Amino acid sequence: MLDVLRLVWFDLRHEIYPPVWITLQWFSFAIQIFLYGALISQLVPSTTQMPSYQQFYAVGFIVMMTFDVGSHAGREFVEAAHEGRLPYLLCLPISRSKLFLSIALKGGLELALMLMIPFAITLTLIGNLTVVSVVAAAATLFCLGFGVAGLMLGLSFIAFKSSDLYSAITTGLSAIIVRFSTVLYPLAVMARTSPGYASAAMFSPLTYGADLVRLFLGFNPGILLDPTTAVAVLTALAVSTLGLGTFLLGRLVEGVRSG
Amino acid sequence: MTELSLILRLARNDFSYFFRTKWLMAILISLHLSDMLVVALVYKNLMSINYFQFFVPAVIVMGLFVAALDTGRRIWLAIREGVIQYYLSLPITLRGIVVAYLLAGGLAAVVYSSSLLLIALVVLPAQAVWNTFILLPFLFILAMGLAGIAATLAALASTHGEYFFACQQVVQTVLLTLSTVFYPIEVVKTYFPAILVNIVSANPLSLAAEAMRQYTFSGYPVQPLLLISILLTSLPFTIVGAIAYLAVLRTFRVKGKL
Repeated sequence: MLDVLRLVWFDLRHEIYPPVWITLQWFSFAIQIFLYGALISQLVPSTTQMPSYQQFYAVGFIVMMTFDVGSHAGREFVEAAHEGRLPYLLCLPISRSKLFLSIALKGGLELALMLMIPFAITLTLIGNLTVVSVVAAAATLFCLGFGVAGLMLGLSFIAFKSSDLYSAITTGLSAIIVRFSTVLYPLAVMARTSPGYASAAMFSPLTYGADLVRLFLGFNPGILLDPTTAVAVLTALAVSTLGLGTFLLGRLVEGVRSG
Repeated sequence: MTELSLILRLARNDFSYFFRTKWLMAILISLHLSDMLVVALVYKNLMSINYFQFFVPAVIVMGLFVAALDTGRRIWLAIREGVIQYYLSLPITLRGIVVAYLLAGGLAAVVYSSSLLLIALVVLPAQAVWNTFILLPFLFILAMGLAGIAATLAALASTHGEYFFACQQVVQTVLLTLSTVFYPIEVVKTYFPAILVNIVSANPLSLAAEAMRQYTFSGYPVQPLLLISILLTSLPFTIVGAIAYLAVLRTFRVKGKL
C-alpha cells in the first residue's frame, strides 16, 4: 500500500505545489456562481418547480467541475504516454493493479481537493440539508468522476495513433456532453425546445449525475429524471469504463507511445 | 525583401498555424456552435426575454475574443520551444515581429468570428447585414487589442505554462462575466454597484456585442460614437501588449533567455 501512496503523492504534488489549478477552479466557481449565476438567474422567472436558478446552476457547475477533473485524469494518462512517464511507471516493481489503483486514488483525491470548497459553498447556498443527503450527493459526484475518467482512459487508444486527434475528439466531445445535458437546464425545457435535444441529453452521463445530485440536495423531483435509472446508469458507467481502463493498463499499454 | 513583406509573411505563417491546430478548432467550433444552437435556444424557453436573439450576436463576439486570445498561446509556445530564437535570426526588426503577431491574431479572430457570423445569419434573421462591413474594421482593432492582452500575459508568464494558462483563464472569465455578452445591462444595473456597472458598460466586449446586436441584427443606423468607443477601449490593450512583447523580444536578444 505504501508503494501506491508514494505513487499517488508523486503525481499529486505537481497539482499542490504550486496549487495553481486548484485555486483557479475555486476562483472560476466563485465568479460563475456569484456573478454569472446570480445575474443570469434574474432572467429566469422563479417557479414552484425551480424557485432559484442560481441554486440549480450551482449544482450544475459542480457537476461540470467533476467532469473537468475526470477528463483531466484521463488526459493526464495520455500525456504520461506522450512524455515518456508511462514507460517509467510500467517498469517500476509494482503490479498493474496497484498502478491502476494509484491512478484511481490520485483522481479521487484530486476531485476531493477541487470540489471541497465549491461543494461546501453550494451546500450553504441551498441550505436545509441532512448528513445523508450530503454524503449521497458527494458519492454521486465521485461515481461520476470515476466514470468520466474511465471514459477518457477508454478513449486513450486513439491517442496511441495520434495525440492531436485524441485532444480534438475529447475536447470537442466535452463541450457537446456538457451542452446536451441537464447541467444547465432541466430536461423538460430541453424537450420543449426540441425533442431531439432531450433525446441527446439521455446519452450524456452528466444528465444522470446532475439530476441525481439535485435530487439528493432537495430539488423538486418533478423536474428531474427517475433516480433509479440515474443510479443504474452512473454505476454501469463507472464500473464499465474503469474495467476498460484496467484492461487497457493491463494488456494494451506495454510498449505503446502516443504520437 | 522589404520589412512590410516580411511582416506579412510572418503574419501569414502565424495565421495559418491557428487554423491548422486541429484540437483548437475542435474546441472552438464545438463550443460556439453548441452555444449558439443549443444553449441559446434552450435558454430562450427558460427565460423571460428572447435569449436566442440576445445571445447569438454575442457568441460571434465571444468567438472573436477567444480566437484573439489564442495569440498568447502561440507566443508562449514560441518562447517555450525556442522558435523565438529563430524569429530573432530573421532579417526583420523586433517591432516587425510584434506587428506581425498582432496582425495575425487580429485577422485570425476576425476570420473565425466571420464564419460564426455566417452561421448566425442562417439561424437568426439580420435586418442590416451591410452594417457588418462597417463594423469589421473596428472588430479587427478590438481583436488586435485582445491579442495584445494575450501577448502581455504570455510575456509575463515567460516559460511557466501553468501561470500563463491560469492568467489567461482568469482574464477570460473576468472580461466575459463583467460584460453584457450574457445578460442585458438592465439586469447588471439591478445587481451590481454603480462602479461595476460603469466597468461593464466600458468593457470593449460589451460594446462590440451591443454593436453587433443593434446594427447587424436589429438594423439600427450605425452610431459613430459606439464605434469610437470600441476603438478607444481597444487601443490601450494593443499598445500595452505590443510594448510587453517587444520587451520580451529585446530581453531575448540581449540575454538569450528570459
